[in-house]
Amino acid sequence: MPDPLTENEQWILSFYRTSEINGALFFGRLARAMKPGPIQRDMTKHFADESQHAWYWTECINRMGAEPLKLSQAYQDKYLEAAGIPANIMEVLALTQTFEKRVIAQYARHSRIVDLQPEVLDTFNKIIDDEKWHIEWVGKALKSMEGEYGRDTIAESLERYRKVDEEVYGAILKEHEQRVAELMRGRGNHAEGKGPWPWPV
Amino acid sequence: MAVAGLKARMAAFLKLPEEKLKDDVLLTDLVTESFILVEMVIELQDDLGIQLMQDDLKPVRTVGDLVRVIDSKGSSR
Repeated sequence: MPDPLTENEQWILSFYRTSEINGALFFGRLARAMKPGPIQRDMTKHFADESQHAWYWTECINRMGAEPLKLSQAYQDKYLEAAGIPANIMEVLALTQTFEKRVIAQYARHSRIVDLQPEVLDTFNKIIDDEKWHIEWVGKALKSMEGEYGRDTIAESLERYRKVDEEVYGAILKEHEQRVAELMRGRGNHAEGKGPWPWPV
Repeated sequence: MAVAGLKARMAAFLKLPEEKLKDDVLLTDLVTESFILVEMVIELQDDLGIQLMQDDLKPVRTVGDLVRVIDSKGSSR
């Protein structure tokens, strides 16, 4: 039987799960609304991945003898609160690009905590390659939109969301300072850098 | 586009009676999740053949705000 999750670990893994569910719902809705073409295709794969990741976290938490917590808010809500509603697909993808980079950095750093339970590590390993592909396809899609929106406008959107990302993550760090510290103390605190978690990109 | 027509489209998308879309109602009070608004705004643009940017939406908080912004874009086409 694996080591049981602490309440803090259960909360953090549930937070990941909730974020993946929200990502799936968001991209699912957009994929449904999009016209046929490569962006519609990749967005459909993206939302299928996010759904799968939500299942992986559910399964992981269950395998460790716990149930996922019902959490009301995920990262995405905080991004939308801070950044306002993206007005078009280009802005949605610019926000997604920033967000996915943050997620992959966070998952990668969490996965490097020494003495991490194998079930959690296995879940990170299953997810991270998909997350890399998300950054890749969104980057290509943004490039393909340069003719319609202009390269400078796209760059401005990316920069605006990068600033929002810093702001939102700063707030998340502050809000969950104790949870972060406990996570790091709980299983050795030997992760690279030993700094606060989740770390900046 | 006529304001009434725009509100009818929004009501149909949100599956709400049009009477609920009064000008002073906050958009966030009409939906359970904010990303439903993202989808609605994108669909309205596709339907109406207009393009909005985030700067256009910055001041938008209420149904009336959104109707005015979309209507002005439609008129300027």
